[in-house]
Amino acid sequence: MLKKRLIFILLYCDGYFMLSRNFRLQRVGDLNWLISNYDFSHISFFIDELIILDVSRKEKQTKFFIDTLKTISYKCFVPIASGGGVHSISDAKILLRSGADKVIINSSLFEKNNFLVNLSEEFGDQSIMASVDVKKSSEHGYQAVKKSGSEIVNESLTEILNNLIQSPIGELYLNSIDNDGTGDGYDFNLINLLPKNCHKPLIIAGGADNSKRLLEGFKNSSIDAVATAHLFNFIGDGLKSARNKLIESGVPLPIWDLDTVYDYKNILNAND
Amino acid sequence: MKRSVTIIDYGMGNIWSVKSALEYLGCNVIVSDDNEVIKDSKYLVLPGVGSFKKAMISLSKSKLDKAILDATLKNQSKLLGICLGMQLMGIKSFEDGETDGLGLISKKVEKLKETKQNIFKIPHIGFNSVKSGPNSILFKDLADKSDFYFVHSYRMLSDGNGIEATAVNGEIFLAAYEKENIFATQFHPEKSQINGLTLLKNFLC
Repeated sequence: MLKKRLIFILLYCDGYFMLSRNFRLQRVGDLNWLISNYDFSHISFFIDELIILDVSRKEKQTKFFIDTLKTISYKCFVPIASGGGVHSISDAKILLRSGADKVIINSSLFEKNNFLVNLSEEFGDQSIMASVDVKKSSEHGYQAVKKSGSEIVNESLTEILNNLIQSPIGELYLNSIDNDGTGDGYDFNLINLLPKNCHKPLIIAGGADNSKRLLEGFKNSSIDAVATAHLFNFIGDGLKSARNKLIESGVPLPIWDLDTVYDYKNILNAND
Repeated sequence: MKRSVTIIDYGMGNIWSVKSALEYLGCNVIVSDDNEVIKDSKYLVLPGVGSFKKAMISLSKSKLDKAILDATLKNQSKLLGICLGMQLMGIKSFEDGETDGLGLISKKVEKLKETKQNIFKIPHIGFNSVKSGPNSILFKDLADKSDFYFVHSYRMLSDGNGIEATAVNGEIFLAAYEKENIFATQFHPEKSQINGLTLLKNFLC
Protein backbone atom coordinates (compact mmCIF):
# COMPACT_ATOMS: atom_id res chain seq x y z
CA MET A 1 0.00 0.00 0.00
CA LEU A 2 1.20 3.49 -0.85
CA LYS A 3 1.92 5.42 2.35
CA LYS A 4 1.17 9.07 3.14
CA ARG A 5 4.11 11.48 3.45
CA LEU A 6 5.17 14.00 6.07
CA ILE A 7 7.28 16.72 4.44
CA PHE A 8 9.50 19.27 6.15
CA ILE A 9 10.24 22.49 4.25
CA LEU A 10 13.41 24.53 4.60
CA LEU A 11 13.30 28.11 3.30
CA TYR A 12 16.73 29.47 2.42
CA CYS A 13 17.40 33.15 1.80
CA ASP A 14 20.80 34.78 1.35
CA GLY A 15 22.66 32.32 3.56
CA TYR A 16 20.00 31.92 6.25
CA PHE A 17 17.05 29.68 7.00
CA MET A 18 13.82 31.55 7.46
CA LEU A 19 10.49 31.44 9.18
CA SER A 20 7.73 32.67 6.91
CA ARG A 21 4.42 34.29 7.83
CA ASN A 22 2.18 35.23 4.92
CA PHE A 23 5.41 35.14 2.88
CA ARG A 24 7.10 37.75 5.06
CA LEU A 25 10.42 36.25 6.00
CA GLN A 26 12.12 36.26 9.36
CA ARG A 27 15.73 35.17 9.68
CA VAL A 28 16.21 32.19 12.02
CA GLY A 29 19.74 30.87 11.60
CA ASP A 30 22.44 29.84 9.20
CA LEU A 31 23.51 26.35 8.16
CA ASN A 32 25.36 25.80 11.45
CA TRP A 33 22.22 26.72 13.36
CA LEU A 34 20.24 24.29 11.23
CA ILE A 35 22.70 21.47 11.76
CA SER A 36 22.85 21.98 15.52
CA ASN A 37 19.06 22.13 15.84
CA TYR A 38 18.06 19.71 13.10
CA ASP A 39 20.44 16.84 12.55
CA PHE A 40 19.01 15.65 9.25
CA SER A 41 21.28 12.65 9.06
CA HIS A 42 19.41 11.46 12.15
CA ILE A 43 16.12 13.29 12.26
CA SER A 44 15.42 12.43 8.65
CA PHE A 45 14.23 9.12 10.06
CA PHE A 46 11.19 11.09 11.21
CA ILE A 47 10.23 12.77 7.96
CA ASP A 48 9.43 11.22 4.60
CA GLU A 49 10.67 13.99 2.40
CA LEU A 50 12.48 17.29 2.55
CA ILE A 51 11.76 20.39 0.48
CA ILE A 52 14.58 22.91 0.26
CA LEU A 53 13.67 26.20 -1.41
CA ASP A 54 15.82 29.17 -2.29
CA VAL A 55 13.42 32.02 -1.55
CA SER A 56 16.02 34.78 -1.88
CA ARG A 57 14.15 37.77 -3.24
CA LYS A 58 17.02 39.63 -4.83
CA GLU A 59 19.52 37.81 -6.99
CA LYS A 60 19.87 34.12 -6.19
CA GLN A 61 23.31 33.12 -5.01
CA THR A 62 23.22 29.79 -6.76
CA LYS A 63 26.62 28.52 -5.71
CA PHE A 64 25.99 29.04 -1.99
CA PHE A 65 22.57 27.50 -2.25
CA ILE A 66 23.92 24.48 -4.11
CA ASP A 67 26.64 23.99 -1.49
CA THR A 68 23.99 24.17 1.22
CA LEU A 69 21.84 21.64 -0.63
CA LYS A 70 24.83 19.32 -0.91
CA THR A 71 25.67 19.64 2.78
CA ILE A 72 22.11 18.95 3.92
CA SER A 73 21.51 16.09 1.50
CA TYR A 74 24.73 14.30 2.33
CA LYS A 75 23.76 11.41 4.61
CA CYS A 76 20.11 12.38 4.44
CA PHE A 77 18.43 9.34 2.96
CA VAL A 78 14.99 10.72 2.26
CA PRO A 79 13.79 12.19 -1.02
CA ILE A 80 14.60 15.84 -1.50
CA ALA A 81 12.75 18.29 -3.72
CA SER A 82 14.42 21.59 -4.37
CA GLY A 83 13.74 24.78 -6.26
CA GLY A 84 13.50 28.54 -6.22
CA GLY A 85 14.27 30.39 -9.43
CA VAL A 86 14.36 27.36 -11.73
CA HIS A 87 13.93 28.80 -15.22
CA SER A 88 16.03 26.54 -17.42
CA ILE A 89 17.05 22.94 -17.99
CA SER A 90 20.49 23.71 -16.61
CA ASP A 91 18.99 25.25 -13.43
CA ALA A 92 17.14 21.98 -12.92
CA LYS A 93 20.12 19.81 -13.78
CA ILE A 94 22.41 21.39 -11.21
CA LEU A 95 19.84 20.79 -8.46
CA LEU A 96 19.36 17.17 -9.53
CA ARG A 97 23.10 16.63 -9.47
CA SER A 98 23.52 18.22 -6.05
CA GLY A 99 21.21 16.16 -3.86
CA ALA A 100 17.73 16.96 -5.20
CA ASP A 101 15.61 14.13 -6.54
CA LYS A 102 12.88 16.41 -7.82
CA VAL A 103 12.77 20.04 -8.94
CA ILE A 104 10.14 22.50 -7.83
CA ILE A 105 8.78 24.88 -10.46
CA ASN A 106 6.83 27.94 -9.39
CA SER A 107 6.98 31.26 -11.31
CA SER A 108 8.12 29.54 -14.54
CA LEU A 109 4.79 27.69 -14.63
CA PHE A 110 3.23 30.91 -15.86
CA GLU A 111 5.66 31.67 -18.64
CA LYS A 112 4.13 30.99 -22.00
CA ASN A 113 6.65 28.55 -23.35
CA ASN A 114 7.19 24.86 -23.47
CA PHE A 115 9.29 24.78 -20.31
CA LEU A 116 7.38 21.96 -18.58
CA VAL A 117 7.41 19.87 -21.74
CA ASN A 118 11.13 20.43 -22.25
CA LEU A 119 11.87 19.65 -18.61
CA SER A 120 9.86 16.46 -18.70
CA GLU A 121 11.53 15.32 -21.90
CA GLU A 122 14.85 15.71 -20.13
CA PHE A 123 14.09 14.47 -16.63
CA GLY A 124 10.70 12.77 -16.85
CA ASP A 125 7.48 14.25 -15.47
CA GLN A 126 7.93 12.41 -12.17
CA SER A 127 10.88 14.73 -11.39
CA ILE A 128 8.75 17.86 -11.60
CA MET A 129 6.85 19.28 -8.64
CA ALA A 130 4.57 22.13 -9.70
CA SER A 131 4.19 24.60 -6.87
CA VAL A 132 1.35 27.10 -6.85
CA ASP A 133 1.13 29.83 -4.22
CA VAL A 134 -2.43 30.95 -3.64
CA LYS A 135 -3.85 34.15 -2.16
CA LYS A 136 -7.43 34.99 -1.37
CA SER A 137 -8.98 38.42 -1.87
CA SER A 138 -12.52 39.53 -1.13
CA GLU A 139 -12.83 40.92 -4.64
CA HIS A 140 -11.36 38.13 -6.78
CA GLY A 141 -11.53 35.07 -4.56
CA TYR A 142 -8.59 32.68 -4.89
CA GLN A 143 -5.77 33.70 -7.23
CA ALA A 144 -2.37 32.29 -8.05
CA VAL A 145 0.60 34.51 -7.33
CA LYS A 146 4.15 34.27 -8.62
CA LYS A 147 7.60 35.69 -7.83
CA SER A 148 7.49 34.97 -4.08
CA GLY A 149 3.91 36.13 -3.83
CA SER A 150 4.63 39.55 -5.29
CA GLU A 151 2.74 39.30 -8.58
CA ILE A 152 -0.82 38.18 -9.11
CA VAL A 153 -1.46 35.87 -12.05
CA ASN A 154 -4.56 37.08 -13.80
CA GLU A 155 -5.78 33.76 -15.19
CA SER A 156 -8.49 31.93 -13.29
CA LEU A 157 -6.97 29.64 -10.67
CA THR A 158 -9.33 26.81 -11.52
CA GLU A 159 -8.17 26.97 -15.11
CA ILE A 160 -4.52 27.14 -14.10
CA LEU A 161 -4.88 24.03 -11.94
CA ASN A 162 -6.88 22.23 -14.59
CA ASN A 163 -4.18 22.93 -17.18
CA LEU A 164 -1.39 21.97 -14.81
CA ILE A 165 -2.92 18.60 -14.12
CA GLN A 166 -2.92 17.89 -17.85
CA SER A 167 0.72 19.03 -18.11
CA PRO A 168 3.74 16.76 -17.79
CA ILE A 169 4.24 17.25 -14.05
CA GLY A 170 4.76 14.68 -11.31
CA GLU A 171 2.93 16.25 -8.43
CA LEU A 172 1.15 19.36 -7.32
CA TYR A 173 2.19 21.43 -4.31
CA LEU A 174 -0.44 23.93 -3.13
CA ASN A 175 0.50 26.60 -0.61
CA SER A 176 -1.83 29.11 1.00
CA ILE A 177 -0.13 32.46 1.51
CA ASP A 178 -2.96 33.59 3.81
CA ASN A 179 -2.47 30.64 6.15
CA ASP A 180 1.33 30.48 5.79
CA GLY A 181 2.98 30.66 9.22
CA THR A 182 -0.29 31.39 11.06
CA GLY A 183 -0.92 28.00 12.66
CA ASP A 184 -4.57 28.28 11.56
CA GLY A 185 -4.40 24.97 9.74
CA TYR A 186 -4.46 24.16 6.05
CA ASP A 187 -6.94 25.85 3.73
CA PHE A 188 -8.88 22.84 2.49
CA ASN A 189 -10.95 25.04 0.18
CA LEU A 190 -7.94 24.96 -2.15
CA ILE A 191 -8.73 21.34 -2.87
CA ASN A 192 -12.20 22.27 -4.10
CA LEU A 193 -10.55 24.31 -6.85
CA LEU A 194 -9.03 21.14 -8.29
CA PRO A 195 -10.90 19.13 -10.88
CA LYS A 196 -12.59 16.01 -9.53
CA ASN A 197 -10.53 12.86 -10.01
CA CYS A 198 -7.27 14.81 -9.84
CA HIS A 199 -4.83 12.11 -10.82
CA LYS A 200 -1.61 13.80 -9.68
CA PRO A 201 -0.26 13.35 -6.16
CA LEU A 202 -1.18 16.36 -4.02
CA ILE A 203 0.93 18.11 -1.38
CA ILE A 204 -0.62 20.77 0.83
CA ALA A 205 1.25 23.48 2.72
CA GLY A 206 0.54 26.65 4.67
CA GLY A 207 -0.89 26.81 8.17
CA ALA A 208 0.35 23.69 9.99
CA ASP A 209 2.56 24.30 12.99
CA ASN A 210 1.90 21.21 15.11
CA SER A 211 0.94 17.55 14.86
CA LYS A 212 -2.80 18.28 15.23
CA ARG A 213 -2.73 20.47 12.16
CA LEU A 214 -0.73 17.87 10.25
CA LEU A 215 -3.29 15.23 11.23
CA GLU A 216 -6.13 17.39 9.88
CA GLY A 217 -4.31 17.37 6.55
CA PHE A 218 -3.88 13.60 6.55
CA LYS A 219 -7.60 13.13 7.26
CA ASN A 220 -8.44 14.64 3.88
CA SER A 221 -8.38 11.71 1.48
CA SER A 222 -7.41 13.83 -1.56
CA ILE A 223 -4.11 14.75 0.09
CA ASP A 224 -1.07 12.54 -0.38
CA ALA A 225 1.44 14.57 1.62
CA VAL A 226 1.30 17.32 4.22
CA ALA A 227 4.06 19.86 4.63
CA THR A 228 5.21 22.25 7.30
CA ALA A 229 7.93 24.89 7.29
CA HIS A 230 7.68 25.78 10.95
CA LEU A 231 11.36 25.94 11.80
CA PHE A 232 10.84 26.74 15.51
CA ASN A 233 8.17 24.24 16.47
CA PHE A 234 9.99 21.05 15.56
CA ILE A 235 13.43 21.68 16.99
CA GLY A 236 15.17 18.77 18.73
CA ASP A 237 12.70 15.90 19.09
CA GLY A 238 9.79 17.85 17.59
CA LEU A 239 9.58 15.93 14.34
CA LYS A 240 10.00 12.60 16.11
CA SER A 241 7.17 13.24 18.54
CA ALA A 242 4.91 14.68 15.84
CA ARG A 243 5.49 11.60 13.71
CA ASN A 244 4.82 9.22 16.60
CA LYS A 245 1.54 11.01 17.37
CA LEU A 246 0.51 10.74 13.71
CA ILE A 247 1.29 7.04 13.60
CA GLU A 248 -0.63 6.50 16.89
CA SER A 249 -3.58 8.30 15.32
CA GLY A 250 -3.57 5.74 12.52
CA VAL A 251 -1.95 7.75 9.71
CA PRO A 252 -0.37 5.23 7.31
CA LEU A 253 3.22 6.52 7.34
CA PRO A 254 6.19 4.30 6.53
CA ILE A 255 7.60 2.75 9.68
CA TRP A 256 11.34 2.44 10.15
CA ASP A 257 13.02 -0.15 12.28
CA LEU A 258 15.24 2.26 14.16
CA ASP A 259 16.70 -0.47 16.35
CA THR A 260 18.39 -1.99 13.34
CA VAL A 261 21.71 -0.26 13.32
CA TYR A 262 24.34 -2.03 11.35
CA ASP A 263 28.00 -1.40 11.43
CA TYR A 264 27.99 -1.25 7.67
CA LYS A 265 31.60 -0.31 7.23
CA ASN A 266 32.86 -3.38 9.04
CA ILE A 267 30.49 -5.73 7.26
CA LEU A 268 31.50 -4.43 3.84
CA ASN A 269 35.20 -4.11 4.26
CA ALA A 270 35.86 -7.23 6.34
CA ASN A 271 36.20 -9.49 3.30
CA ASP A 272 38.48 -7.25 1.28
CA MET B 1 40.98 -1.67 1.62
CA LYS B 2 37.69 0.03 1.02
CA ARG B 3 35.24 -1.55 -1.37
CA SER B 4 35.23 0.36 -4.66
CA VAL B 5 31.97 1.07 -6.43
CA THR B 6 31.60 2.92 -9.72
CA ILE B 7 28.56 5.06 -10.44
CA ILE B 8 28.02 5.27 -14.19
CA ASP B 9 27.68 8.94 -15.09
CA TYR B 10 25.83 9.49 -18.33
CA GLY B 11 24.70 13.00 -17.45
CA MET B 12 21.35 12.03 -15.97
CA GLY B 13 20.49 11.05 -12.47
CA ASN B 14 20.68 11.92 -8.82
CA ILE B 15 24.36 11.05 -8.63
CA TRP B 16 25.05 12.98 -5.42
CA SER B 17 22.37 11.06 -3.50
CA VAL B 18 23.58 7.67 -4.67
CA LYS B 19 27.19 8.61 -3.96
CA SER B 20 26.36 9.81 -0.48
CA ALA B 21 24.54 6.56 0.40
CA LEU B 22 27.42 4.42 -0.86
CA GLU B 23 29.95 6.51 1.04
CA TYR B 24 27.84 6.16 4.18
CA LEU B 25 28.28 2.40 3.73
CA GLY B 26 32.03 2.88 3.75
CA CYS B 27 32.66 2.49 0.01
CA ASN B 28 35.21 4.22 -2.09
CA VAL B 29 32.94 5.75 -4.74
CA ILE B 30 34.08 6.55 -8.26
CA VAL B 31 31.78 8.57 -10.50
CA SER B 32 32.83 7.89 -14.06
CA ASP B 33 31.92 8.15 -17.72
CA ASP B 34 35.15 6.42 -18.74
CA ASN B 35 34.54 3.13 -20.57
CA GLU B 36 37.79 1.57 -19.35
CA VAL B 37 37.07 2.41 -15.70
CA ILE B 38 33.57 0.98 -16.03
CA LYS B 39 34.74 -2.20 -17.76
CA ASP B 40 37.19 -2.89 -14.94
CA SER B 41 34.86 -2.17 -12.01
CA LYS B 42 33.64 -5.07 -9.91
CA TYR B 43 30.64 -3.15 -8.60
CA LEU B 44 28.63 -0.85 -10.85
CA VAL B 45 25.60 1.29 -10.14
CA LEU B 46 23.45 2.66 -12.96
CA PRO B 47 21.34 5.45 -11.49
CA GLY B 48 18.83 7.48 -13.42
CA VAL B 49 16.20 10.14 -13.23
CA GLY B 50 14.71 11.18 -16.51
CA SER B 51 13.53 10.03 -19.86
CA PHE B 52 14.38 6.60 -21.25
CA LYS B 53 15.01 7.77 -24.78
CA LYS B 54 17.40 10.59 -23.79
CA ALA B 55 19.24 8.23 -21.47
CA MET B 56 19.73 5.55 -24.15
CA ILE B 57 20.91 8.15 -26.66
CA SER B 58 23.40 9.42 -24.10
CA LEU B 59 24.61 5.90 -23.24
CA SER B 60 25.13 4.88 -26.86
CA LYS B 61 26.75 8.17 -27.90
CA SER B 62 29.44 7.69 -25.27
CA LYS B 63 29.60 3.90 -25.92
CA LEU B 64 28.80 3.41 -22.25
CA ASP B 65 26.16 0.88 -23.29
CA LYS B 66 28.87 -1.40 -24.66
CA ALA B 67 31.08 -0.87 -21.59
CA ILE B 68 28.19 -1.88 -19.31
CA LEU B 69 27.53 -5.02 -21.36
CA ASP B 70 31.25 -5.92 -21.39
CA ALA B 71 31.51 -5.43 -17.64
CA THR B 72 28.43 -7.48 -16.78
CA LEU B 73 28.51 -10.20 -19.46
CA LYS B 74 32.27 -10.71 -19.93
CA ASN B 75 33.74 -9.66 -16.59
CA GLN B 76 30.77 -10.74 -14.45
CA SER B 77 30.75 -7.39 -12.64
CA LYS B 78 27.81 -6.85 -10.32
CA LEU B 79 25.44 -4.19 -11.63
CA LEU B 80 22.63 -2.44 -9.75
CA GLY B 81 20.21 -0.38 -11.81
CA ILE B 82 18.11 2.13 -9.90
CA CYS B 83 14.75 3.49 -11.12
CA LEU B 84 15.38 4.63 -14.72
CA GLY B 85 18.61 2.64 -14.45
CA MET B 86 16.53 -0.52 -13.97
CA GLN B 87 14.32 0.35 -16.92
CA LEU B 88 17.35 0.94 -19.16
CA MET B 89 18.38 -2.66 -18.43
CA GLY B 90 15.14 -3.93 -20.03
CA ILE B 91 14.62 -4.98 -23.65
CA LYS B 92 12.69 -1.89 -24.69
CA SER B 93 10.58 0.97 -23.37
CA PHE B 94 7.39 2.48 -24.73
CA GLU B 95 8.02 5.86 -23.11
CA ASP B 96 8.13 8.53 -25.80
CA GLY B 97 7.72 6.11 -28.72
CA GLU B 98 9.67 2.87 -28.68
CA THR B 99 13.32 2.63 -27.66
CA ASP B 100 15.56 -0.40 -27.24
CA GLY B 101 17.25 -0.85 -23.87
CA LEU B 102 20.39 -2.71 -22.81
CA GLY B 103 18.62 -6.06 -22.80
CA LEU B 104 20.11 -7.32 -19.53
CA ILE B 105 16.61 -7.98 -18.17
CA SER B 106 14.30 -9.67 -20.65
CA LYS B 107 11.27 -7.54 -19.89
CA LYS B 108 9.53 -4.57 -21.49
CA VAL B 109 8.96 -1.18 -19.87
CA GLU B 110 5.45 0.23 -20.13
CA LYS B 111 3.36 2.89 -18.41
CA LEU B 112 1.67 2.01 -15.13
CA LYS B 113 -1.90 1.00 -15.77
CA GLU B 114 -4.34 3.90 -15.39
CA THR B 115 -7.52 3.19 -13.49
CA LYS B 116 -10.86 4.78 -14.33
CA GLN B 117 -11.42 6.53 -11.03
CA ASN B 118 -7.81 7.63 -10.66
CA ILE B 119 -7.73 5.97 -7.26
CA PHE B 120 -4.13 5.10 -7.97
CA LYS B 121 -2.31 8.21 -9.02
CA ILE B 122 0.38 8.34 -11.69
CA PRO B 123 3.25 9.07 -11.24
CA HIS B 124 3.45 6.62 -8.39
CA ILE B 125 5.23 8.73 -5.77
CA GLY B 126 5.99 7.85 -2.15
CA PHE B 127 6.90 4.96 0.10
CA ASN B 128 5.21 1.70 -0.78
CA SER B 129 5.59 -1.76 0.66
CA VAL B 130 7.55 -4.30 -1.35
CA LYS B 131 6.91 -8.02 -1.31
CA SER B 132 10.23 -9.74 -1.80
CA GLY B 133 10.78 -13.07 -3.47
CA PRO B 134 12.33 -16.12 -1.79
CA ASN B 135 16.13 -16.48 -1.82
CA SER B 136 16.64 -12.83 -2.61
CA ILE B 137 20.10 -11.43 -1.98
CA LEU B 138 18.93 -7.80 -2.04
CA PHE B 139 16.21 -8.30 0.59
CA LYS B 140 18.30 -10.33 3.06
CA ASP B 141 17.65 -9.16 6.67
CA LEU B 142 14.69 -7.05 5.53
CA ALA B 143 11.18 -7.72 6.82
CA ASP B 144 8.68 -8.78 4.17
CA LYS B 145 6.65 -5.79 2.95
CA SER B 146 9.33 -3.26 3.89
CA ASP B 147 8.75 0.29 2.63
CA PHE B 148 10.80 1.82 -0.18
CA TYR B 149 10.57 5.15 -1.99
CA PHE B 150 9.16 5.13 -5.52
CA VAL B 151 8.90 7.95 -8.03
CA HIS B 152 8.00 6.70 -11.51
CA SER B 153 5.32 6.42 -14.19
CA TYR B 154 6.71 3.43 -16.10
CA ARG B 155 7.37 -0.09 -14.88
CA MET B 156 8.19 -3.68 -15.78
CA LEU B 157 5.89 -6.57 -14.94
CA SER B 158 6.74 -9.72 -13.06
CA ASP B 159 6.89 -12.82 -15.29
CA GLY B 160 8.60 -15.35 -13.07
CA ASN B 161 11.99 -14.91 -14.72
CA GLY B 162 14.70 -14.19 -12.12
CA ILE B 163 14.18 -13.44 -8.45
CA GLU B 164 11.46 -10.84 -8.36
CA ALA B 165 9.98 -8.48 -5.79
CA THR B 166 6.68 -6.72 -6.40
CA ALA B 167 4.66 -3.71 -5.27
CA VAL B 168 1.09 -2.62 -5.96
CA ASN B 169 -0.24 0.59 -7.47
CA GLY B 170 -3.44 -0.24 -9.30
CA GLU B 171 -1.67 -3.38 -10.54
CA ILE B 172 1.11 -5.63 -9.34
CA PHE B 173 4.37 -4.48 -10.90
CA LEU B 174 8.05 -5.33 -10.62
CA ALA B 175 9.73 -3.49 -7.74
CA ALA B 176 13.07 -5.31 -7.85
CA TYR B 177 14.83 -7.95 -9.91
CA GLU B 178 17.93 -10.07 -9.52
CA LYS B 179 19.57 -12.78 -11.58
CA GLU B 180 23.19 -13.81 -11.07
CA ASN B 181 25.23 -10.58 -11.24
CA ILE B 182 22.33 -8.41 -12.48
CA PHE B 183 20.33 -6.45 -9.88
CA ALA B 184 17.73 -3.74 -10.27
CA THR B 185 15.25 -1.76 -8.21
CA GLN B 186 12.40 0.40 -9.48
CA PHE B 187 12.46 2.23 -6.14
CA HIS B 188 15.29 4.42 -4.82
CA PRO B 189 17.24 2.55 -2.10
CA GLU B 190 19.39 5.67 -1.58
CA LYS B 191 16.22 7.48 -0.52
CA SER B 192 14.63 4.71 1.52
CA GLN B 193 16.20 5.27 4.92
CA ILE B 194 17.46 2.24 6.83
CA ASN B 195 15.68 -0.21 4.46
CA GLY B 196 17.45 1.22 1.44
CA LEU B 197 20.85 1.24 3.12
CA THR B 198 20.38 -2.40 4.10
CA LEU B 199 19.51 -3.29 0.51
CA LEU B 200 22.57 -1.46 -0.83
CA LYS B 201 24.72 -3.25 1.73
CA ASN B 202 23.30 -6.58 0.53
CA PHE B 203 24.19 -5.71 -3.06
CA LEU B 204 27.76 -4.96 -2.04
CA CYS B 205 28.27 -8.03 0.15
